[in-house]
Amino acid sequence: MADWQERITHETPPAIRVEHELRYQAVAALILSGGPWADLGCGNGLAAAAALGDARPRSALLVDADEHAVAQAARELGIAASVQVVADLTERNDLDRIGGHLAVLGGEPIITCFEVVEHLERFSPLLEWAAALASERQATFVLSVPNDAFWSIENPYHRTMWGEGSFAELQRLLPHEHTLMRQVTLAGSALMRWDTPLEHELQVLAGAAGTVPSHFIAALGPRHAEVDVGAHVAQTDALAQRRWERQRESEVAIAAEAVKEMEATVAKQAGELRQQTKEFEDWRVYIHELERELGRPLSGSAEAMAREPPSDTTGAGGQDAAEPAEPRA
Amino acid sequence: MRVAFLVNDLQLSGGVGVVVQHARRLSELEDWDVTLVLARPQDDASWHGYEDIADLHVCTREDALAEEFDVAVGTWWETTFTLFELAATRYAYFVQSLEDRFYRTDEAERLGAALTLDLPVAFITEARWIADTIAALRPDATCFLVRNGIDKDVFAPLTRVPVNMSQPLRILIEGSPTAWFKQVHQAVDAASAMRERRHVTVVSGEREALGGVPADEVVGPLSFRELSELYARSDVVLKLSRVEGMFGPPLEGFHRGATCVVTPVTGHEEYVEHGWNGLITDWEDLRGTAQALDMLARDRHLLHFLRANALETARAWPSWVQSSQFMAAALLAILREPPPAAAPAAMRMLADVRSGIELYNAHLRERRLFAHRADRLDRAVALARRTLPVRAMLALRRYRVVKLIAFPLRPLTARARRLLA
Repeated sequence: MADWQERITHETPPAIRVEHELRYQAVAALILSGGPWADLGCGNGLAAAAALGDARPRSALLVDADEHAVAQAARELGIAASVQVVADLTERNDLDRIGGHLAVLGGEPIITCFEVVEHLERFSPLLEWAAALASERQATFVLSVPNDAFWSIENPYHRTMWGEGSFAELQRLLPHEHTLMRQVTLAGSALMRWDTPLEHELQVLAGAAGTVPSHFIAALGPRHAEVDVGAHVAQTDALAQRRWERQRESEVAIAAEAVKEMEATVAKQAGELRQQTKEFEDWRVYIHELERELGRPLSGSAEAMAREPPSDTTGAGGQDAAEPAEPRA
Repeated sequence: MRVAFLVNDLQLSGGVGVVVQHARRLSELEDWDVTLVLARPQDDASWHGYEDIADLHVCTREDALAEEFDVAVGTWWETTFTLFELAATRYAYFVQSLEDRFYRTDEAERLGAALTLDLPVAFITEARWIADTIAALRPDATCFLVRNGIDKDVFAPLTRVPVNMSQPLRILIEGSPTAWFKQVHQAVDAASAMRERRHVTVVSGEREALGGVPADEVVGPLSFRELSELYARSDVVLKLSRVEGMFGPPLEGFHRGATCVVTPVTGHEEYVEHGWNGLITDWEDLRGTAQALDMLARDRHLLHFLRANALETARAWPSWVQSSQFMAAALLAILREPPPAAAPAAMRMLADVRSGIELYNAHLRERRLFAHRADRLDRAVALARRTLPVRAMLALRRYRVVKLIAFPLRPLTARARRLLA
């Protein structure tokens, strides 16, 4: 069992939820500006819904490889004119299908593709499709990738490794007009009176020298410069986080126990197999001794096989035979 | 998508290996037809070490002339002579290093290699430093960056780095001894200057050119898989190169749990961090390099720290599958975009030709000057030989007794004798 939670859920650690919400917040104004919005790899829509607040775009195309996720995203976002598409973003046909839906919706599309590219083993069709859509349909395309390379994170769900170097490669593929952004992780704490909630405005300096980004973001298309900067801080939901952590620990423990049991079973069966193999060998030796005494060919030898009568085809395996077997006398 | 990669040959080398990997991975994609075009006639095609090359479409220049491609890609400066002979919708140049640096200043190939960077092509390169240089040299040209992947099947990252607390420091030196910029002999000398216990292995496909070197083991030529096994048995990859493109060998070593001691050669900045996953030494500093190696031999905690971080760096490096996705995207973009304008390229090339002519003129002037001086000297010598004292002195040389008397003076008269000879 993978010790990873890849989908954003209510139990996802707040820091990660905030990261996702912030990306949607950065394009919220674009999403709500009237053109159709396509969210590639929409997941269950929690982060987008949180970032958009009560506002909703006129029309949306929700795309994911998992149909349950798409359905949940549609429920979570509650957009009346939403189209749900299950698609594989490595397939040119699927990308063309999404393009077809966008053409029907009309206008200049806003396409978000957050934390998706790293899940694709083949991402060149998506990049090619995005570049074409940006130039031919005036689409604005915003994507993000994680900085896995810094920590050498080997996420079992990620098919490609992204970091500063890979993003530099991606950057060279973008049209001349584009916007690049980096996202950094913030940490903090708050102190308040015992029974009075605190509302406090924060000022934070982010991105100074030596900053290591957690994610890289690129925007292309006519409205690439409108992607907004900002920071978002949320209180840690310790209850939810504890629930997820404990749930994970519990499942890992169960999985470890199951593996231990399976290993014990495999070891037991391996022992039995070894014993049986030895017994079979003893029998073979004994039978061969008897056969030698009787002057018969040794079982298993080519000579013995040649003298074997042809196998009966009337059994279960013989049902497919072209000719019915003759009745025996 | 029909793509031709032009190569001079398929001899086992880092540069050709990169092209073969791209060709192999791209040909696995749906609707991609990739051909390796041998730009030079082959006497003896040696494909030793390239796994699965049999699956690739390899053809001669003559056969390729009859075909049509979407994109034709030159991969070494000499292959660009053939590049425009092929029928292709777009032309590209995969630059793996600034190849003029492979030649010394008095070699004609240096100018030839430099001029190929002025061609009206789209550029693809494998290192950021090359991309930045091309952007500076050719601001008009498109340049895509496709970093080399690592064959994670052959150079499979170790699960964890084994600890070497007591064995001698295992040093691996790799490279062509005939390429001056690889500095193989200097690396061997640096390892020899160590005081601590070490085991030095030199890998070279050119054993004769390597000559006798003070190493514990000399091996090669090796297939990539054999090299990988050797890296796994090494603590340090020692490379003192002066010119590199992407600088692959230490990274391959990283995958197999070896750290590195390297010069600050181009390409090292892509992944080597001094004191984190390797050590960077100074140019021409054999004593300093030996001290760095001695430090690793003494401080096994530092050695293991560097090796462990090297392995982590390797884990984060992309595979060939990912790299070929960027290559595919770059080739598709080259096909999609309009071809590069010829005028800026021609302007740049003519400017370089002019500076080449000036350089050549300077060499010719210098040569004329030397010839003039030599002529003057020749005439003076001829004149001197005709004078009576010199003729008499030359005549005396016939007598043995004169030779015996003059013998102690030979060092003093050597120059005069050479001139008169």
